[in-house]
Amino acid sequence: MRKKALSVLLASLMTAGLAVTGLTGCNNSKDGTESIRLMVWSPQGDQSKDQGEWLQTCCNAFAEEHPEWDITFVYGVADEASSAGQVSQDAQASADVFLYANDNLTTMTDADALAKFGGKYLDEIKASNSETSLASVTKDGEVYGVPFAINTWFMFYDKSVFTEEDVKNLDTMLEKGVVAFPFTNSWYLPAFYFGNGCTLFGDGTDASLGADFGGEKAREVTDYLIDLESNPNFRIDDLGSGIAGLRDGSINAIFSGSWDAGAVQEALGDNMGVAALPTYTLNGEEKQMYSYAGTKAVGVNAQSKYMLPAVELAIFLGNEYSQRLHYELENVVPTHTALLADGDILSNEVVAAINDTFNRTSILQPNLAEMANCWTPVENMGKGIRNGSITHENSAEQTEMMNETMNSDGI
Amino acid sequence: MKREKMHSAKTRRFINNSIVHAVLGVLAVIWVFPIVWVILTSFRAEKGSYVSTFLPKSYTIDNYIKLFTDTTILDFPQMFMNTLFIAVCSCILSTFYVLAVSYCLSRLRFKLRKPYMNMAMILGLFPGFMSMIAVYFILKALGMTEGNLIKLALILVYSGGAALGFQIAKGFFDTIPIAVDEAALLDGCTRWQIFTKITLPLSKPIVIYTTLTAFMGPWLDFIFAKVICRANSDQYTIAIGLWKMLEKEYIDNWYTCFAAGAVLISVPIAALFLYMQRYYVDGLSGAVKG
Repeated sequence: MRKKALSVLLASLMTAGLAVTGLTGCNNSKDGTESIRLMVWSPQGDQSKDQGEWLQTCCNAFAEEHPEWDITFVYGVADEASSAGQVSQDAQASADVFLYANDNLTTMTDADALAKFGGKYLDEIKASNSETSLASVTKDGEVYGVPFAINTWFMFYDKSVFTEEDVKNLDTMLEKGVVAFPFTNSWYLPAFYFGNGCTLFGDGTDASLGADFGGEKAREVTDYLIDLESNPNFRIDDLGSGIAGLRDGSINAIFSGSWDAGAVQEALGDNMGVAALPTYTLNGEEKQMYSYAGTKAVGVNAQSKYMLPAVELAIFLGNEYSQRLHYELENVVPTHTALLADGDILSNEVVAAINDTFNRTSILQPNLAEMANCWTPVENMGKGIRNGSITHENSAEQTEMMNETMNSDGI
Repeated sequence: MKREKMHSAKTRRFINNSIVHAVLGVLAVIWVFPIVWVILTSFRAEKGSYVSTFLPKSYTIDNYIKLFTDTTILDFPQMFMNTLFIAVCSCILSTFYVLAVSYCLSRLRFKLRKPYMNMAMILGLFPGFMSMIAVYFILKALGMTEGNLIKLALILVYSGGAALGFQIAKGFFDTIPIAVDEAALLDGCTRWQIFTKITLPLSKPIVIYTTLTAFMGPWLDFIFAKVICRANSDQYTIAIGLWKMLEKEYIDNWYTCFAAGAVLISVPIAALFLYMQRYYVDGLSGAVKG
């Protein structure tokens, strides 16, 4: 009796499973148009009514341009930072088209989840992007996405404290006001090392060259950072203390990205200044700080059932119309060369500063797998300086140790 | 002489008690500190994740209002209802599983009893999320990773393995004399009647304990919900929502709301506990009469 009940249960479970998979698989075409189901992922903000439903607007415009397809859009929420994880976890059940941050590119290509662009689509991407932003989505000579936004960090400052001349040099700024920097965050701290000739994987693409954060040039920077940390006008920005300081006036400049622009505007009002990274004075010489820069791009799932419409949609989401809308609705900084030449858009201070940072004071963040080893050692350097365990006496050996761990695969 | 001795004993006891209470008081403050801070933060009017003062400068209930009205980016009310539904369903299911399995293992004798208990013990040694990815692919094969079926999938995940956690309830059932069962059997009770009419009423504390833990598991779980919900934002549970609020794009705007959400998730657990705690006393005093 019990056995029979069990087999009935199992049988019904299996049929249920079959029925469900069977139902989702059907795809009938009627009146000459092909019916298509496209799953699209974007951050919640792009789909929110308050912010103008960028994604829905663009998708509907796309559907209108293509009457030959009867498209049903299925929207899902995955922001640029986390979509790569989701897609590489299970590409089959992931979106056909999604937005991702370019530093996650390798995660997805390793999982064979990201489609390459070619032919006329590739030409279109090449025509509408600067070389840097094109390089950000290129791996081994293949292009894997349509860039649509610049992703980097830069400087916000209080205009009532600093003049435009002051913000060109960090040390001048420190004489006049209080500056906060995310000292213990390894997305920010390498900026100083890059300034003095340190490199990662050559120009960022040759894994065999490894990280070059050692030697005399790196030690000099470590020594500079130790002095910087003890400067009475310097604050370490951690857990949101920088923006809180801007609010109550105890801090006059912070380093952050476009996601904080709204909050800074609220805190400083008309006194909000935005600028690319300053230089710093090392042994009497001016050295430029360089931030990590990247792009956010539209990617196509390599396992998509409807490859052609998916690729077309990706191109559409990264075209001039969509990028302009994205900028108008949510202040997303475009990568499209035509938009970056547009006077209206360039007159926006934040856009101008990001663009300036991207072109002048940043390096492209390498998207090699080896990059994963480079985060923790730099973070530990910042923390070591903060808690006083790294001093002028041991700066040389500590810097060498950082360089060594950045070049090793061990955990 | 005698009186003086008594007096000194009294003094000593007083001093001892004072020290103990002082230490306990300090420990209590330390222990309650973070909770008080979260509650204070949930009423804080200043924005942002970082403040330079311990006490907020001004208070407001806007954070709670925003949590329930500003639903375009993070739909807290829906997440709350999703989680409540999942938690209540899996609470009922897994309480039943645990109690039924414990009863069987405590009262019935069958061939696989020992092997089952050994197997459960060994399986229990592995953390549940070890099988996370496998569970995801099984659910996907059954077509349960999209739309409203995700809720069902989560209920199954949370309650399916419950029967492995029978040890405590079985231990409790073992303390109820078998003579009671035998008397009932002689009077014509079925096993089911013994379970519902005799064993359960005698074991209220353990029923309460099982219910509470069975509710809290799914209510607070993050990792399975994250793996199974993926990009289906309409199926998100509170844990995922609260985690989202701390991402760099949202943290400045949503941090105080995050605290408000953290306070709110404790409400159903507290309510359930307050409602059920009287049975703790009842159950313990009940035992088996004469």
